[in-house]
Amino acid sequence: MKFLCVPCDKPMQLLEATPPDRGSVSLVYSCDACGYEFAMLTNPQETQVVTSLGVKIGRDGEAESKCPFTGMLADMETSEDGIRWTPQAQERLSSVPEFVRSMAKTGIEKYARDQGYAEVDEKVLDEARSHFGM
Amino acid sequence: MKSYYDITGDGGSNILGQIGAMQAAIGEKLAGVKHRIAIGSGKGGVGKSTLTRQLATALRQRGNACAILDADINGPSQARLSGLHDVPLLPGTEGVALPKDANGVGVVSLGSLVPETEAVRFDSVSQGDSHTWRATREFTALAELLASIDWGQLDYLLIDLPPGAERTHQFAEFLGSQTAFILVTVPSDLARGVVSRSVVSLRDTPNRLLGYVENMRGYWCDACNEVRPLFPESERIELGIPRLGSVPFDPELAAACDRGELVLGSDRPWWIAVRKLAETVEETIESKPSAE
Repeated sequence: MKFLCVPCDKPMQLLEATPPDRGSVSLVYSCDACGYEFAMLTNPQETQVVTSLGVKIGRDGEAESKCPFTGMLADMETSEDGIRWTPQAQERLSSVPEFVRSMAKTGIEKYARDQGYAEVDEKVLDEARSHFGM
Repeated sequence: MKSYYDITGDGGSNILGQIGAMQAAIGEKLAGVKHRIAIGSGKGGVGKSTLTRQLATALRQRGNACAILDADINGPSQARLSGLHDVPLLPGTEGVALPKDANGVGVVSLGSLVPETEAVRFDSVSQGDSHTWRATREFTALAELLASIDWGQLDYLLIDLPPGAERTHQFAEFLGSQTAFILVTVPSDLARGVVSRSVVSLRDTPNRLLGYVENMRGYWCDACNEVRPLFPESERIELGIPRLGSVPFDPELAAACDRGELVLGSDRPWWIAVRKLAETVEETIESKPSAE
């Protein structure tokens, strides 16, 4: 979708994207030539259709990207028993698709717990890979 | 006044760029995969998943590096079939590690992550209209999986498709022209009629259609010690593509599948047929398309 300033015949630029509010995203566009601004306010259905493409809305990804609509629910909570993650392990975890990340995290924490670890670091992740034959 | 095509970019989110980046990431991750084969049908219940699983085992035993992507988001079964119920996705340095079964076949299935007592659901900001976005979200989920897994060097990536003739066509577009297709049917006109729709549908794509497999061609009877008829012989609907093989149903295999046990060697007719099928698939995919 693109927006055109009709009087200037110039494409309008995204100025601001606000975080979703009850499924609605507010996107402010402006015309660089005349300064005219307008806001596009999506309804939840429109927001859902676009975000089902797995894209992030905002200028060059700067806007709210951790959309609540990209997660998959499987009625499972991540561990709440205090398993810590090192920044390096967290970084690796970010390579798991967001829609299954919480499930992957739960599984890894279960492995760590079973092995008596209080912290997940890269060594634990590598060890788990060997454990599961990967 | 300018038209859509006169304007470069979308002024902000670069939606098309993001989709292109995802496709590029998939291409990068699959660069080491020699052959991609989607196994579909159009018809449900014809044994696509079981056949995919056994074909992967047979290809593996012939010395090929193999993996399966369970593309049936709503009814993932490859985790159970492979005995990989509770194996988490583990992030490595080059992406998510490819889970492997006891035979060394890689298996990526949501069934490893979502318990069978749970429905596979996606979070949504809208209510009661999943029919408008669910299919898109499922393909996006598959794209994200394809782009995140460290597939490594593979001879074969088998993609187990969900049912639906039109879905088969959608997967051809989604997976790209490098993906070849095998269709599975059972020897009934009911099933062949639906598979015929898939054949027609795939002909509109550039994807190579290797042929079809006739599954459940009779069943193995331990008491009789022979393969007995399972479906009545009837006037056949011509599919117009090569038959790659016929595989009989075997209750022993069905029981092993339920238990999540890999059958790694057997002298029973179904396994002999699957091994022959693997050989035929290898020969067919290595041959030039014009030979079909």
